[in-house]
Amino acid sequence: MTNACGVGTRAVQRALQSGTSGLRRNDFAPAASLATWIGRVDAVDAARMPDAFAAYDCRNNLLAQLALEQDGFVAAVHAAALRHGAERIGVFLGTTTSGILSTELAYRARAHTEAGVGELLSPEHYRRRHSLFATTEFVRAYLGLHGPAATVSTACSSSAKVFAVAARSIAAGDCDAAVVGGVDSLAMSTLFGFHSLELLSREPCRPCAVDRDGISIGEAAGFALLDPRAEALVFLKGAGESSDAFHMSSPHPDGAGAAAAMRAALADAGLGGGDIDYVSLHGTASRPNDAAEDRAVAGVFGAVTPVSSIKGWIGHTLGAAGIMGALSSELALRLKWLPATLNCVNVDPAFACTVVLQSRPMPLRRVLCNAFGFGGTNCSLVLESAA
Amino acid sequence: MMTLAIAGIGVCATGMANWAQARPILLSEAPPRLDPLPRLAPEILPPVERRRANATTRLAVSAATQAVEGMPPADVEQLATVFSSSDGDGEVLASMLAALAQPQVVLSPTLFHNSVFNAPSGYWSIGSRSSAASITVCAGTASFAAGLKEAQAQVRATGRAVLYVACDAPFPAALASFVRGALPFACALRLVPAVAASGGNHGCIDWSVRDRGTPAPEAPALELLDRFSGNAAADALPLLRCIATGRHARIALPWLDGTRLWLDYAP
Repeated sequence: MTNACGVGTRAVQRALQSGTSGLRRNDFAPAASLATWIGRVDAVDAARMPDAFAAYDCRNNLLAQLALEQDGFVAAVHAAALRHGAERIGVFLGTTTSGILSTELAYRARAHTEAGVGELLSPEHYRRRHSLFATTEFVRAYLGLHGPAATVSTACSSSAKVFAVAARSIAAGDCDAAVVGGVDSLAMSTLFGFHSLELLSREPCRPCAVDRDGISIGEAAGFALLDPRAEALVFLKGAGESSDAFHMSSPHPDGAGAAAAMRAALADAGLGGGDIDYVSLHGTASRPNDAAEDRAVAGVFGAVTPVSSIKGWIGHTLGAAGIMGALSSELALRLKWLPATLNCVNVDPAFACTVVLQSRPMPLRRVLCNAFGFGGTNCSLVLESAA
Repeated sequence: MMTLAIAGIGVCATGMANWAQARPILLSEAPPRLDPLPRLAPEILPPVERRRANATTRLAVSAATQAVEGMPPADVEQLATVFSSSDGDGEVLASMLAALAQPQVVLSPTLFHNSVFNAPSGYWSIGSRSSAASITVCAGTASFAAGLKEAQAQVRATGRAVLYVACDAPFPAALASFVRGALPFACALRLVPAVAASGGNHGCIDWSVRDRGTPAPEAPALELLDRFSGNAAADALPLLRCIATGRHARIALPWLDGTRLWLDYAP
């Protein structure tokens, strides 16, 4: 797990447990005019692509590579490839913009100089850096895997849905294990795009707060190895998906679609609302989104189950939001520890849910995490601790 | 492995605005005459969404609408969907890149929300009032097969129907080097478990067991394939040809690492 709080899970854990946000005033040069806060991963700027993968050199793939090299992940995948065979391990990743920044910058350079961009906009540039499959293709090649693969791109639910896709692929016999994850890096289109919708906060985002006024965009990459036959500390128990069928960029005000996804995840896991100890919210800090999610969660779980959002630490990482929610939930389950909703001082009095304001130890067994996105797409996951 | 029956079918492409128009073209051995599509305005979308939807969304939704014809609306509202596209909407991408290259960036909110890869899925769920699960996947030149695999895995997991929609369209001149395809193509297949299929369907598909003796591959006229070359969704053409001829066949679909997957078709 790599995000604005740190490179690798240990670094992220330190930031979470010390209550240190990774958000900072926007200093991302291509979108420097925007007065907002961002969750930037500095280490990407210093990262270098190995020569063998030079064709894939772009911010998104560098961020992916940085994260792959943490937490012993590459070694774990290679060990799984020895057990199952490289052609029996799938790769399913979520992203919303892949390496679009590389094309945005090329376009801008052309506009300013009136010079052609020639090779930069070649078919190879598009395929290996910009296209939505580029990062999945890169990760698959970097790990030496030859099983089935796909990019899931359903806006901000992308890297939650990959868990459901991988579970189905394994159940169908297409692969024995799968690498799932999500990678999204800072880009002009998303920063200016959310600005155009007046969804960016001018301050660090404050999920669930009475004074919340928008999101902070972050970049992140995270991966997990799903292997039904491996020993693990945390298991995927269920996944649920639904559609709002309401509006392209606003949630259903009652959170009907979100509630349906949570109920579907519980049903898939064979559990009831009372079996869940903590809900990791999508919690972006947009006014309507948080309100709708509160209604949905309260409808499914009642008002007592503790809920929180990690967006105050790392920002909204869009196509990586699902995997960040899942991996931070995995961390909470392992540490038996409940993360606070950083930056939220006064909870919106209209909210029914019990929003966690102080991180604290708690004997967690099962967590449900949410990821919702544009197009009214919803996905919920249930994770369970082995002990 | 799981055999799927094709319970509904839709096509929307240059020269083939629907399945009835597509059949003779698929069956013909002569070079096809392909008339350009009119501007599409799928009636299933509410007026605001119909006006706002991007070109690939209107293409995908037009094909999807055909594949649910005759279904009770209540069933459509429960119908899960899988969308695939290799490249999404090039017109929206080009407009956004052009806007971002200006010294003063002004981006339209509608352009931005239309830029998400799952825009066709979002508009379809609004138009069809479907609150069921919907996913959008890609895998480069293997996108059609990747989407079909996900659709099959969903039918297997739920035992229920899934609407699979594949859609790709040409990119505008400014980005022509990105995508080779020169013609728009979308198709929609309503897939149900073969055991649950009633009469009147369009045949059955399943992935081949490689060493099983099955008939030789069947393909449409080469000219037709050439015209849609570079459009990943048009990898559906050989399957559509089989459905039109109603003969057993084994079909090759482009897959990853330069390999192919084999699909068996039975009428």
